Formats: sequence, C-alpha cells, structure tokens
Amino acid sequence: MASVTRVKQRLLREAVEENVFLVQGRRRPQPRGGLRLYRGLRATFFLVAPLALFSLTYVVGRAAAEKTVSADAPRGRPILLSRQPMTSAVTETAGTIVLASAPSFSAPEPFARGVLPLAVRRVVLDPGHGGESRGTASRDGLFEKELTLDIAQRLQELLLAANFEVAMTRTEDATLSLADRGEIANRTEGDIFVSIHVNWLENTDARGVETFYLGPTADPYLERLAATENGDGSLRLAELRDALERVYAGVRREESRALAEAVQRSLLVSLRTLDPGVRNRGVKTAPFGVLIRTQMPAILAEVGALSSEVDSELFRDPTYRQYLAEALFEGIQAYSRSLSDNSA
Amino acid sequence: MMAREKGSGDEQVLNLGIDLGTSRSSVSASNGARHMIDSYVGWPVDMVARKVLKRDVMIGREALDNRLMLDLHRPLERGLIKEGSEKAIAAVRELLRHLLALAGVDDAREKGQKVRAVVGVPAEALRVNKQQLRSAMSGLVDSLMIVSEPFAVAYGLDALLHALIVDLGAGTTDFCVMKGRYPREEDQRTLTSAGDSVDQQLMQLVQARYPEANITHHMVAEWKEASSFVGDPPGRVTIEAPVQGKPTKFDITDEMRSACESLLPPVIETMIDLISRVEPEYQARMRGNVILSGGTALIKGLGVSLQEALQEVGGGKVRVVKDPVYVGSDGGLAIAIDAPESDWELLQA
Repeated sequence: MASVTRVKQRLLREAVEENVFLVQGRRRPQPRGGLRLYRGLRATFFLVAPLALFSLTYVVGRAAAEKTVSADAPRGRPILLSRQPMTSAVTETAGTIVLASAPSFSAPEPFARGVLPLAVRRVVLDPGHGGESRGTASRDGLFEKELTLDIAQRLQELLLAANFEVAMTRTEDATLSLADRGEIANRTEGDIFVSIHVNWLENTDARGVETFYLGPTADPYLERLAATENGDGSLRLAELRDALERVYAGVRREESRALAEAVQRSLLVSLRTLDPGVRNRGVKTAPFGVLIRTQMPAILAEVGALSSEVDSELFRDPTYRQYLAEALFEGIQAYSRSLSDNSA
Repeated sequence: MMAREKGSGDEQVLNLGIDLGTSRSSVSASNGARHMIDSYVGWPVDMVARKVLKRDVMIGREALDNRLMLDLHRPLERGLIKEGSEKAIAAVRELLRHLLALAGVDDAREKGQKVRAVVGVPAEALRVNKQQLRSAMSGLVDSLMIVSEPFAVAYGLDALLHALIVDLGAGTTDFCVMKGRYPREEDQRTLTSAGDSVDQQLMQLVQARYPEANITHHMVAEWKEASSFVGDPPGRVTIEAPVQGKPTKFDITDEMRSACESLLPPVIETMIDLISRVEPEYQARMRGNVILSGGTALIKGLGVSLQEALQEVGGGKVRVVKDPVYVGSDGGLAIAIDAPESDWELLQA
C-alpha cells in the first residue's frame, strides 16, 4: 500500500509538471532516444559531409551589419537597418513591412569564412500556418499547422538542451501573417531562420522531403507551392520584386543554401534509415514570402507529405515527430559546426 | 485512493473528473454526483424552433431527440475539439457548462468552494489540442489539469505497474502501458478504429445488403449499442427500419458481427506491439493485466476475443472494467482529489 502511494505521488508530480509546461507554452523534455541505433550512422555522415559542403562561400551579412536602430523597436515604429554592403530602410505599417527605399549595394565579394568568427547562437523556428490557416490536411483529419507546431516544439527542446537560444514565431494555435513571422525573426535577431512545413503532393503515393531557400523558380509545381504558402495576401507584388532583386545577389543566399543542404541531408539520411524508399526531392529555390521577409539565412523545410497515407500514419506517431525534430536538429548542428570549423 | 475517499472531498473544494468523449461525456464529482451525457449540442434553427423548444440551447439526449429543429453539433472529433470551427468551440463550452452544472458547480460557487477539474484526452493528443481545451475551459473552473484518458483510467483502478489499459471510445481507441511512471509518448498509442468506425462499417454493410432500407447514423449507433458482439452471436439481431415509409424488419446479425470484428485486427496488433516493447521479463505480467475500458468495451465477447489473441504470444488475461463508461471520469476525480493543494495553485485555469 505504501509503495502504491509512493508511485501515485510520483505520477501526480509528473502529471502536474507536464501541465505546468503546457500552461507555460513549453514542451516537457522527453528523454532522447528510441532510435539511437541510427545516430552513430548519422554522426559518421556529418563528420564527412561539412567538409565537402562549403568550399566557396560568401560572408554572412549579419556579421558585417551595422545596426543603427534595434529590431526590438516596438511594433508600429519604424525599424531602420543599415548593412554593408547592402542598405535598405524598412518601415513597418499595420503589421506589414514595407521597403521604404530602393536597395543599394555592390556585388558581394567572396572570401573565406575563416575571416570572421561566425556562429549560430539564436535559431528562429517558424511552425508553418496556424490559427485560421490550417495548411494541408490528411484524409483522417491531421492538420499541417498542428504537426508543424509539435515538431517545432520538439526541436526547440533539443536546441535549448544543446545551448542554442531559440525564438519561436508562434507557440500556440495562432494566426500569423508572413509579415508577422518575418518581423518576429528580424526583431529577435536570429542567426538563422527555419520554417517547418508539411507538403501535399498531387501524386498521393509520392513521399519525400525537400528544403527550400529563397530564389527564383521556373518549375510550375514550385510556383504553385509558393503561391499556396504565400497565400495570406500580406506580400505586395512590388515588394516581392524588390526583395527578390535585393536578395538574389545577396550573400545571405549562399548561407541559406548551405543551411538548406545541411538540413536536407540530415532529413534524408535520418528518414532513409527508417525507410530506404524515401525520395530526395532535393534542395531547391522558390520565392516563399516568409523567406523574403527574413534578414538572416533562412530555409523552409517540407518534412513530409500529408497527401501520402504512409506519411499521415507516420506523422500520427509521436516517436516519428520526435525523429523528424532530431533530424532537423542534426542538420542545424551540422551547419553550425561548419561555421565554427571555418572560423577556427 | 491516496489521501481521501472518493465522494468525501475537501469542503472548501469541489473536485471533478471529466471524460470528454466524442460520443458521450461523463463527470464524477467529489460531492458524489455522477452524470453521463451524449456529446451533442444544438441551437434552434430559427425563431419558430426556439418558440416550440422554449430553449436557447439543448444538450445531450434532449438535443438528439429534437435534432430536426436544431442546428446540431457533435463538437468533439477523435476525442478533441473539432478543428477550425468556432461553432464547435462554442458547443464544447456549452457541453462543459452543462456537465459542470449537473455536477453541482453552481451550488459550489454559491458556497464559495473552489472548483478543480481533471479532464482526460486521447493518449496522443497534440499540445495544441490541449491548449485549445484549456482555453475552452477558461473561466469555467478555477484550476485545470489535463491528462491522457487511459492514464486517468489506470490511476482510478490503481493499475499503475505492469498493466496495459485499452480505452475503447467512440472516436479513438487509446492504449497506455503503465510502468509505474507517468506515461511517455512511447508508452501510449491512439487508433482511430473505435466505436464510430464500427458504426460506419455497419451502416455500409446494412446499406449494401438492404439498399431499400432507409437508415441513419443515429439508428445504426442505437442498434450497435443494443446488440453489438464479436465471435458467436448470442442470438439473431433483428432491427426495424422503414422501407418507403413502411416499418420493416431486417436481420443484421452477420453485418453486426463483421462491423464489430473490424476492430479486432488493429487493436490486437497494437496491443501485441506495445507488449513486445516492454522489457522481456515483464511481458508476461503485462499480458496478464490487460484492462478494457470505455463505452466500446461493452461489445459482447470483445474481451474474450482479445484474450484468445494473446494465446499466440504466450497467453494472458483481459478484463473489462465493471463500469467502463465512468471509469475515466472516476479516475480523473481520484487524481483531482489526490493532487496536493500546492500543485493546484500552479494550474489555475
């Protein structure tokens, strides 16, 4: 009887703890593991992969930034950021960021990363969709917005445990415009931005992962996908054109590509240990609005497809969602390590 | 029970256990009240209906019985608030208000008592679902704890160690392996094969065999409730349904059996899979302590069939709890009573 009482006390303590985390909008840490078997394989991969990834690159704009007014400025007040070699004035009006002056910059000069001590300290996580924007949905009622938040919260815990700082664009089922997401990322001065999404593919048997960074595309599928993800109407055409012109030549793009490659590789290696048939849909460029808004290396990862019954079933399993979070974590860590290695 | 007996409670506090179910919801209170209602909420469709019904909102069986005059909602889906529907959130709040009123919350408020509730949700409910529930409960109780439904069942039955709880509801079947610790994600599983999927299957089978019969989901659910079984039929299952307006009798014994037995493969597979993940030296004890709860556990012969399936992996014992409908809310009440005052302070709604 005494032992039952003790067990009950412990169970109650843990139940309360989980609820306190829920009230605070945080996830109760789960012991990592379950799929440790594969971690050694991935670790070996990541020792080799970064060496091949970053032979030529450009400097991160952030490292050279000269900040004249902090992005912590209250909403509605002008935010002025000036960068070398790129300058632009950014004004926020009613939740929409407007580029107030034409970008002016000279072509970036490539040089070795080791010149500047770069590091990833703060990661901005952006769980796709939320609130009124459900995103994609499985036939049996799983919603993209719920999955992205769940995976992002798991990833947040992993990053915090590894001493990264984490900013989340949302921690609950809230509606956020693309402008809001970009504004949060910029205001919190993240070093990198990772937007998490779940895809819908016309071929419902198709599965696979793909990771995007900002750039043009001529692929009609990607144009449709970008149009869907950009669908909140907060991005003006002129703004899109200006931003693309500014960003395509920007050094940020190269870092975004490197981050996208690291994350895509990690996702692929991890998922193929579970299912060798998972398709590599590749690292791609596409004009996603949320990537345009951010001022740091930014990617958008489509970590599966709810159009696939197999994926839907897997997404329902929390162990699988944890596994995806761990894969994203490994990718971010690999990218971070590559910066440190090159800076050393 | 750890500190106090159920039904006694603290005089300054009204403790509640709530099982918010897709089909039925129940509440058990520390003042001894115990109620179960159908999880339906309806608003009169127009002024005429409001005048006839003389009510602004109807809940439970009453709502079902008057559904033709109501904008009827079943606000829970898979044991969770239906996504993306303002009406569903409003309906859940009405449902909760009604349950709380039945449990004597209004009296408790008048006496100045605090109201604390433990609500059970499906084992694999996402955090966002729990947050939605917290906001739906906001203002209705003073403090709120959300736990997985099968955990509440296990707690109420003191089945805390080497036990497998299978909570068969309408929207979901929830599994929870109890290892003497608060269940983690890998200890729990949720299937959408549950009471509703049996209803759906039965509807399709009956329509295929008797296309002339005019039947509805509500009729099918009632037939299942009255005559569901797996294995050998306890007798012929005969129902009555109109054919061009004329009441006609149909034999649906085979259809009932097929629909109910559609639950067996996924439940057996999940049960055996979860047991196989337990440390080998404890698997036999776990197999010997499988507990079925929830309204769908009332299907005749279900426990026996699951026990037979365990023979293939060394045998075991499956028992159906005595009161499968209230066992979840009773478990929630036990948690509410046992949780220390200091913990409740942290969980204000």
